[in-house]
Amino acid sequence: MLLSLSWLREFTPYRGSIDELSHRLTMVGLEGEEIVRPFAHLSPMVVGRVVEKKQHPGADKLSLCSVDAGTGENLSIVCGAPNVQAGQNVAVALEGTELPGGQVIKKTSIRGETSQGMICSEAELELGQDSSGIMVLDGAFSPGTGLRRALDLEEFVLDIGVTPNRPDCLSVMGLAREVAALFDLPLYKPVLDLHEDNSRHCPDEVQIEIDDPSGCPLYQARIISGCAIKPSPDWMRYRLMAVGVRPINNIVDITNYIMLEQGQPLHAFDRDLLEGDRIRVDRSRPGFKFPTLDEQERELNDQDLLIWDSEKPVALAGVMGGANTEINEHSTRVLLECAVFNPLSIRQTARRLGLHSESSFRFERGVDQANAPFALDRAAQLMSELGQGRGYQGVSRAEPRPCKPVQVYFRRERANSLLALDVDQEYCRRVLTSLGCEVQEEGGAMQVTVPIYRPDITREVDLIEEIGRVYGLDKIPEHLPKVQKSMHHEDADSEYRFLGAVKQWARGLGLQEAINYSFVGMADLDYLGVPLEGRVKVFNPLSEEQDVMRTHLLPGLLNTLKHNLGQGNTRLKLFEAARSFEQDSSSETGVRENNRLALLLYGRRHRGHWPHPEDDADFYDLKGLVENLLGAFGGLEGRFVLHREHPCLEPAVECICREKTLGVLGRGAPDKARAYKARKDIWYCDLDLDLLHSLGSRSRPQFQPLPRFPVVKRDMTIVTPMELAYHQLRDVVENAGVDILEDISLVDVYLPPERQEKKLTLRLTYRHPERTLKDSEVDREQQKLADLLLKKLPVGFP
Amino acid sequence: MSAVQEVNTSLKSLIQEFKHVLDQASSLQDLEEARGAFLGRKGRLARIMSRLPELDPADRPEAGKTANEVKTELGRIRESRKKELEKQAASDGDQSFDPSLPGRTPDVGSVHPVTRVIQDISNIFTGLGFEIVTGPEVETDFYNFEALNLPPGHPARDMQDTLYITETLVLRTHTSPLQIRTMEKRRPPLAAIAPGKVYRRDSDLTHTPMFHQIEGFLVDTHVSMADLRGTLTAFAQQIFDSEVKVRFRPSFFPFTEPSAEVDISCVMCQGRGRNQDGTTCRVCKETGWVEVLGCGMIDPEVFLQVGYDPDKYTGFAFGLGVERVAMLKYGINDLRMFFENDIKFLNQFA
Ligand SMILES: [Zn+2]
Repeated sequence: MLLSLSWLREFTPYRGSIDELSHRLTMVGLEGEEIVRPFAHLSPMVVGRVVEKKQHPGADKLSLCSVDAGTGENLSIVCGAPNVQAGQNVAVALEGTELPGGQVIKKTSIRGETSQGMICSEAELELGQDSSGIMVLDGAFSPGTGLRRALDLEEFVLDIGVTPNRPDCLSVMGLAREVAALFDLPLYKPVLDLHEDNSRHCPDEVQIEIDDPSGCPLYQARIISGCAIKPSPDWMRYRLMAVGVRPINNIVDITNYIMLEQGQPLHAFDRDLLEGDRIRVDRSRPGFKFPTLDEQERELNDQDLLIWDSEKPVALAGVMGGANTEINEHSTRVLLECAVFNPLSIRQTARRLGLHSESSFRFERGVDQANAPFALDRAAQLMSELGQGRGYQGVSRAEPRPCKPVQVYFRRERANSLLALDVDQEYCRRVLTSLGCEVQEEGGAMQVTVPIYRPDITREVDLIEEIGRVYGLDKIPEHLPKVQKSMHHEDADSEYRFLGAVKQWARGLGLQEAINYSFVGMADLDYLGVPLEGRVKVFNPLSEEQDVMRTHLLPGLLNTLKHNLGQGNTRLKLFEAARSFEQDSSSETGVRENNRLALLLYGRRHRGHWPHPEDDADFYDLKGLVENLLGAFGGLEGRFVLHREHPCLEPAVECICREKTLGVLGRGAPDKARAYKARKDIWYCDLDLDLLHSLGSRSRPQFQPLPRFPVVKRDMTIVTPMELAYHQLRDVVENAGVDILEDISLVDVYLPPERQEKKLTLRLTYRHPERTLKDSEVDREQQKLADLLLKKLPVGFP
Repeated sequence: MSAVQEVNTSLKSLIQEFKHVLDQASSLQDLEEARGAFLGRKGRLARIMSRLPELDPADRPEAGKTANEVKTELGRIRESRKKELEKQAASDGDQSFDPSLPGRTPDVGSVHPVTRVIQDISNIFTGLGFEIVTGPEVETDFYNFEALNLPPGHPARDMQDTLYITETLVLRTHTSPLQIRTMEKRRPPLAAIAPGKVYRRDSDLTHTPMFHQIEGFLVDTHVSMADLRGTLTAFAQQIFDSEVKVRFRPSFFPFTEPSAEVDISCVMCQGRGRNQDGTTCRVCKETGWVEVLGCGMIDPEVFLQVGYDPDKYTGFAFGLGVERVAMLKYGINDLRMFFENDIKFLNQFA
C-alpha cells in the first residue's frame, strides 16, 4: 500500500517526518518497506519564463525563445510547440538534465541557432497524454522554482507492507486512523456536501435484486447524470500518479480515488448501456463466456459471481467490469456501484482467472460494510464536482446480510500474563478506544465492541495482540525459559542425529557435501532410464526441469558434476544425504520418503600433486568408502554382487547387507555420462540410509578378550583363471574348518601381460587361543587348505 | 711402582684416553670401533683385567673395585657420546630430506554451509533443552495449512506460493507442520526444533524453490512473550555475535497471536547502515536491521486442533530461514550459490 503523506494529512495533522512515520508504523506491524520518490525524475526540472519569442530564421515551425530559468542569464531555447508565447511560465529541462524517456538535454545547434535547454510538454514529462504543445504553468511562480514544487507533486510516498489480517489499512483513511491513534492526533473525516437532483429518484430508476445473499451482503447504486467525461483535474491526476495509479478519465479516476482513500472499491457503469431498470447479483452459469473490459473473454463457472442488468451480465463482481457497459467518452449517465462481496468467492474467481486487481485484492481481504454508504456518497459528490453531473436523489440498495459488530470479553490479567507486562485497566481502555473499540467495564474485565473495519479481532487474544502491538513488543522484558529436559527415547537415535553422523563421517573421509533440489525433470529420470512407475509429479511446477520429485539422487549429483566441470573443477569427491520420493499407498501421505546417501567420485584419487601418484579413482575407492561406512555404522559387512541389468551404471554392483539390498554402486554408463561433459569414469553409489540406520542400530558391541598368544603368518600364491572371483577363493578357505585360521587377507593380485590367468597371493594368519603354535602344525593346516583349493576350484600353485 | 699401582694407573688412564678417542670419533661407526678397542672382549680394559690374578691377593679386591668403577665410567662416556653423535646424524644426516615438501595430506571434506548452520543452531537449542524432530516433506494440506489456522481460501495462503502434488498434498511450504505433528503425539511440556527442506513456487535472485527452515516451539503452562524474547535474543547472540541487537516488530502469521518478525542489527555494517568506506550497506539497505525470523505466541486455534486446552497452556513458536542465516553469518551474497555446489564454494566451509 502506497501512502501519500499529503493525502494522509488531509485526515490527521501528522507533522513529523516520513522516516519517523515509517519507523513508528513498522513497530506496530505496518512495515515501512520503502520510501519512494515518485517524481524523482522531475526534480532537476525548473519553472522558466518565456521573456521573448521570435520566429526561428531557418525554420517556419520553430520558435526561438529567450527564457529566464533563474540561472542568471537568459537562455536561448529553440521550441517547436505551437502554443509557446512570451510571458508564459513553462517547464524547462536545463542542459545536462535527463528526461523521463532517457534523453539527455545538451546544448545543441538547431538549424543554425543555439538551444540551451528544452521547453517540455506534459507527455515529455510523463505527467499526462498531451503532446500537442508545451505545458503552460501558473504565472505566480518565479523563474528557477523547482517544477515539482510548482506543481505541488508529492515528494515522498511510503510503501507499507500490509499483512493480510489488516484490510482496514488498505486505505488512506484507515492508515490515518492508525496514525492518529499512535501519535495521539485528531482524525478528520471528509465533510459530505452532496447536492441531489430531487426531480429524479434513484430507487425508482433502478432496483437491486440479490439472488446470492452470501455472495453479496450489500449492494448500493447511485445514478449521476449529465456528466462530461474528460481528464481529471491535475491535483487528482498527480495524486493518483504518485501512488502508482494511471489516470484514465474523471469518472474512472474518482472510483480509484475513493477506493484508495476509503478502501471501498467502486465500479462505474454507463447507465445508458445498461438495459432495463434492474441490477441483479447472481452466479454465472458454467461455461459462460464473458468479455471483461480488458478486452479478454473469460470463461466462467457456476461459482463466479456476476452483476446483471435486465438482460445480460455486465460485470464480474468485485473483480472487473464488462466491456459492454464501460464508461466511454460519450457517457453522460453513470451508474455507480458500491457493494460488498464475499471474500472467498472473489478470491476463487480472481485466482482461477489470474485476474488480480486492486479491487479484488480489497474484497478478498474484507471491506468495511459499515463505511460503504459514506464511500458511495463521497464518490457521488466528487462526480458532481469534477464531472459536472448531478446525482439522482437517494440510493438503490439491498442489504440481505447487515453487518453486526463483534463483542469480545477481555481480561487484563490474561494480557499481562501472555505479554509479561504489567499494564493497568486504564491503559488497556485507552489503547482499545484509540483503535476504535467501545469499551464497557464489567467487574475486573471489559466487554469490548470491535469496529466492523477490524475483522481480524474476534477473540480475547486478538485484543491482547493490540495491547502488545501498541505498547511495543520490543519493550517487553526478556527471560530465558527453563525447559523441562526431555529424555525422550527417540531423540538419541533420531533421524536427524543419524544423518548428522553420516555427514560427519563423509566429511572426515574427505568428501564434500552437495545439496540439490528435491525435484528434477521427468526428462532427467527418463534419460537415466529409471522406472516410470512410482514417480511423484509436481502438479504446478515452475518449469519442466523441476516437474517431478526425484526417485534417485543421481540426476542432481550429475548436474553438480556438470556444473563443476564447466567451472574447471576436474576432481570431485561428493556426497549428498537427502530423501528420494516414491508413490506408496501404504504411507500416510501416499508418498514414501526414503533417506539416501549418494557418493560420487570423479577424476584423480589423490590431489594431483607430489607425493601422490596421479592415477584416477576407481571402483575400489568407492567400494572402500562403502565398506568403511558399513563398518562405522554398526560393524556391518556387505556382500558385493555384480548386478546384471542396471539402467545407468556399468558395471553395477549390488551391496547386500544382512540379506537386504542396501544399494548399488558402479560406474556411470559412458554413453549417458557424456551428456554431463564427463571425460573420465564417474564412480557413483546410492545407498538406503534408513535401512542402514535400522540394521546398524540393532547391533551393540560385545567385548571379546584380547588374544594372548602370538600369530603365525603364511602367504599362499594361487594361479587362477581370469574369471574366477576372489570371493570364491575366500569362501573355500573360510569354510575349510581350520579353527586356528584367524584372518585371510589379499596381499597381491598379479595380472600377467598375456592375461590368461592371474596370480593371487593370500596372507593367512593363524593363532591358537591357548598356546603358541608350532611351525609343523601351521604347515599341516596350510597344506590342507592348498589341497582343498585344488580339489574345489580350477586353480593351481606356481 | 708396585704391580697394583701400575694396574690402577693404567685403569685410570683409560678414562682420559677413551675420552680422547671418542672426541675424535665422527660417526656411530667410529664409536663402535672405539668401544671394541676399549670395552670389547679383547679390548684394553679386558687386557688389564686379565692381569688381576697376578696381583697380591690382598690387593685384588681394591683393584677389582677400581676396574669396575672404570668400566662403568667408560660405559657412561660412551653413552653420552653416542647420544651426541645420533643427534648430529639426525640433524645433518640425509641431505635430500626437505621438511618443507608437502605431506601426504588426506583430503579435507566439508559439510554444506546449510548443514553447518543447521548443526550450529541445533546445538544452541539442544543446549537450551530442546529436542530435534523431523517430518515429511510431502505434506498434507491439513498439516501444512488447515491445522495451522489457514483454512482453504484464507488470504494468508497467498503469503506462500505453494507447489502442489495433488489437491490435498503439497510440498511443505514451511516446517510449521512439525508443530502439529509433534504436539499430536505428545503432551506438554515440550520444546523442540524441526530443521528441514521446504518448498515454494518462487524463483528469482532472492528466492529458490527449495530452501531450508528451522521451526522451534515450546509449550508449557505460563509461557509468555518474555520467554520468546529471551530465547531468541540468546539464540541470535550465540549464532551471530554477543554484540548483536535484536528487534521485535509486530507482524502476522495465522498460527501465532501475537506475531512478530525479528530483526537483528546488520552484521555487515554493525547496524550503522553504512560500510566502513562510507558506501551504503546493501545487506540492510541502509536500515541497519535485517530480518531473520518470524515468531509469535502459538494461536489458541492451533492448540484446539491438537486437543490442548488453550486456557491452560501457552507457548511460542518461531521459524527461520537457514540460507538467510548462512548468508548473514558467512557473508554469502548470492543465494543461487547454495544449490550450484561449486566445490570452490563448498571448500570454504570445511
Ligand atoms: Zn548493513
